[in-house]
Amino acid sequence: MAEVLLKNIKKIYTDNESRKKGRGKFRQQPKEGEEEKKVSLQITDEGVVAVQEFNLDIKDKEFIVLVGPSGCGKSTTLRMIAGLEEITSGELYIDGNLVNNVEPKDRDIAMVFQSYALYPHMTVYDNMAYSLKIKHVDKAEIDRKVREAAEILDITQYLDRKPKALSGGQRQRVAIGRAIVRNPKVLLMDEPLSNLDAKLRNQMRSEIIKLRKKINTTFVYVTHDQIEAMTLGDRIVVMKDGYIQQIGTPQEVFDHPANLFVSGFIGTPQMNYFDAELVIREGSYYVETKGISVKLAEDKQLRLKENDVKAQPVTLGVRPEHLTIAEEGINGQVEVSELMGSSLHLHMTVDGKDVICIVPTEGRKVNYDGKQLKLAFTGDVAHVFSREDQHNLEY
Amino acid sequence: MKKDINTVAAIKLLISRLVVYGILIFLTFLCLFFFYLMFINASRSNAQLQAGFTMIPGGNTIKNFVNAWHDTNISIPVGMKNSFIVASLSAVLTSYFSALTAYGTYVYDFKYKKAVHLFILAIMMIPSQVSAVGFIQLAFKYHLTNKLWMLIIPSIAAPSVYFYMRQYLEATLPLEMVEAARIDGSNEFRIFNEIVLPIMKPAIAVQMIFSFVGSWNNYFMPSLLLNDLQKKTVPVMIATLRSADFTKFDMGKVYMLMVMAILPVMIIYVILSKSIIKGVTSGSVKG
Repeated sequence: MAEVLLKNIKKIYTDNESRKKGRGKFRQQPKEGEEEKKVSLQITDEGVVAVQEFNLDIKDKEFIVLVGPSGCGKSTTLRMIAGLEEITSGELYIDGNLVNNVEPKDRDIAMVFQSYALYPHMTVYDNMAYSLKIKHVDKAEIDRKVREAAEILDITQYLDRKPKALSGGQRQRVAIGRAIVRNPKVLLMDEPLSNLDAKLRNQMRSEIIKLRKKINTTFVYVTHDQIEAMTLGDRIVVMKDGYIQQIGTPQEVFDHPANLFVSGFIGTPQMNYFDAELVIREGSYYVETKGISVKLAEDKQLRLKENDVKAQPVTLGVRPEHLTIAEEGINGQVEVSELMGSSLHLHMTVDGKDVICIVPTEGRKVNYDGKQLKLAFTGDVAHVFSREDQHNLEY
Repeated sequence: MKKDINTVAAIKLLISRLVVYGILIFLTFLCLFFFYLMFINASRSNAQLQAGFTMIPGGNTIKNFVNAWHDTNISIPVGMKNSFIVASLSAVLTSYFSALTAYGTYVYDFKYKKAVHLFILAIMMIPSQVSAVGFIQLAFKYHLTNKLWMLIIPSIAAPSVYFYMRQYLEATLPLEMVEAARIDGSNEFRIFNEIVLPIMKPAIAVQMIFSFVGSWNNYFMPSLLLNDLQKKTVPVMIATLRSADFTKFDMGKVYMLMVMAILPVMIIYVILSKSIIKGVTSGSVKG
C-alpha cells in the first residue's frame, strides 16, 4: 500500500563487493550464456556498474515486473529497494519518504526469495509468525494473522510441519505467507517461481494473480521469464546491462517494442529479423526486403513522419505469428516443423538465416517438411529498427 | 553359461566382503581392545597386575574403587567437579564464540577481512607449548595460578574450532536466510542466536565433544597451573597417584581412577552424538 519512487538510481559494485557477488553459490547455477552477459556489464575505474539511470514511479497497489536476462541488474534493483544492497547514488522513496539509508527492517517491506530461505528449524507456523514476534505483536493477534494468511494460501494443514517435510510448491507458499502475514507496504519477489517445475510454475502463477486480488499491496516482481512478466505485470520494466530498455504495459511492450532487444526478448518464439530498406514513395513509407515491398500501416506512417525518419537501411522485425504463407513473398525453405497442437511452428531458412513462422493447423495435417514456401506480412505488424543504434524508428 | 557368471560374481562379492569386514573388525579391535583391557585391569589387584595380563576380569573392582575414593593424596569428587567445570564451560564458550567469529567473517564484509581470517588461521600453527611459557610466566607474575578460569578463558580463542565453524557455515548457511531474517525485522545478534545457531547445531555438537574431551583430558596446562588439591583436575590427580610413594603404589587403583575419568566423556559423547547424526538444514532451501 505504498508508492515507490526510484530516482536516477545507480549501483556500482566496488572491486571488493563484486568479488562477494561472485560468491553467490546459493543462487541458481548460471544459465547458458550468462557468463558473457555478465561480462558485458560496464566495468569502470570505480567498479562494476550493475544498475544505471534507473527512474521508475511505481504507483500504489501496482504490480511491477522487472524482467531481463540474467545479470541485467533487475535483482540488484530489487535488493536496493529492499535495503539489502547499498544505493551508490540516486534517491529511493517509499510512501514519499526518502529511505536510502533506512534499514530493511524499518522499510516495512517484505520479500520472497528464489530459494525460499525458510528457517529450517522452525515450523511453518513459526516461520510465518517470526516477523510478528519480533515486533512484539500480541499472541492472539499473531495467531489470527498467521491463520488468515495460511487460509489464503491454502497451507493451514501444514502449519505444524517443518519446511523439509514440504514439497517445493508448498515451501514457496510458506515463503509467500511469511511475506504477506505482516501486511507490508511493498511486497518484493525475486524470481519466486524459477525453482518450481513447469506445471507447478503455471499453477503458482495463477495463484499469484489471485493472491494479488486478495491482498492490496504494491508488488515488485523480478523474473527472467517473459511469460511471467506478460501475465502478471500491470507494467513491465525490461532491463539489459543495467539500463532500462522500456517501461510499459505488457500489451505496449509487445506491440511497440522500443528497440531490437525488447522485441527479441518479449514474445516466444522470438521475433524474426530481415535486412530491409525503408523507402519513401509518394510521401508514404515502405519496407522492401527480398524482392517484396510492403506499405506500412497508417499509424506507423504518422509516427515515422513525426520523427522525420529518412529513407535508410533498417532491420525489419516480424513476429512468427504474423508471418503468413502466401502466393507472393519471401522465399524460404522449411527445415523442421513442430506440431504444437493447435498450431504448427515452421523453422525455415531464408537466405541462410533462421526464420520461424506459426501457421494454424485447423485440424488438417499438412506436411511442410522440406517445402519451399513464400512468406508474407502486412504493414501493421512490421517493426522497423535502426541499423545504427537498434532503436525502433517509430519512437 | 549364464549361471556360471552369476556364481563367479557371487564369489567375488563374498571375497570382497570378507576382506572389507576383516579390515573393519581389525580396526574395531584396535579401538576397543584397550578399553577392554582398562576395565579388566581396574578389576584386578596390584599383585595380579604385576604378574602379567589376562583377558579374564579379577575380583578386586570394589576394593580398587574404595581405595581410589579414600586416597588422601587425591579427592575424586573434587577432581571430577573441577574437571567438569573447566571442560563444560570451555566446550560451551569455545563453540559459541568460535561460531560467532566464523559468522562474522562469513556474513559481513569489512576491510581486511581476509587478513583477519588468515591471522586467525596462522595462530593455529603455533604449538600451545610455545605460548605456554609466556602464559605461565604471566600467571605467576599476577598470582593467577590455581584459578580454574585461567584454564577456561584462553581456551575460548580456538582457531581450529573457528575454521571448522567457518567451513560449516559456508556449506550450510545461505546468505538469503540471513537477509530474510533482516527483512523480517530481526537485529543482527538475534539473527545469529535464533536463526544461525540452530542451523549450526551439528557443528556445535561436534566441536563441543572435541573441546570437552580435549579439556577433560588436558594434562599439560592444568599440571603447570594447579597445585592446590582443591583445584586439581582429574588427569593431574591421576598423575599425582602415579608419582606417589613407590612402596604404596597400587596399579589397580590407578586403573580404577582412569575408568572413572573416562566415564563422563563417554556419557557426554552419547548425549551429543545424536545431534551430530541428525542434519538440520535439509528443507530450508531448494536442495
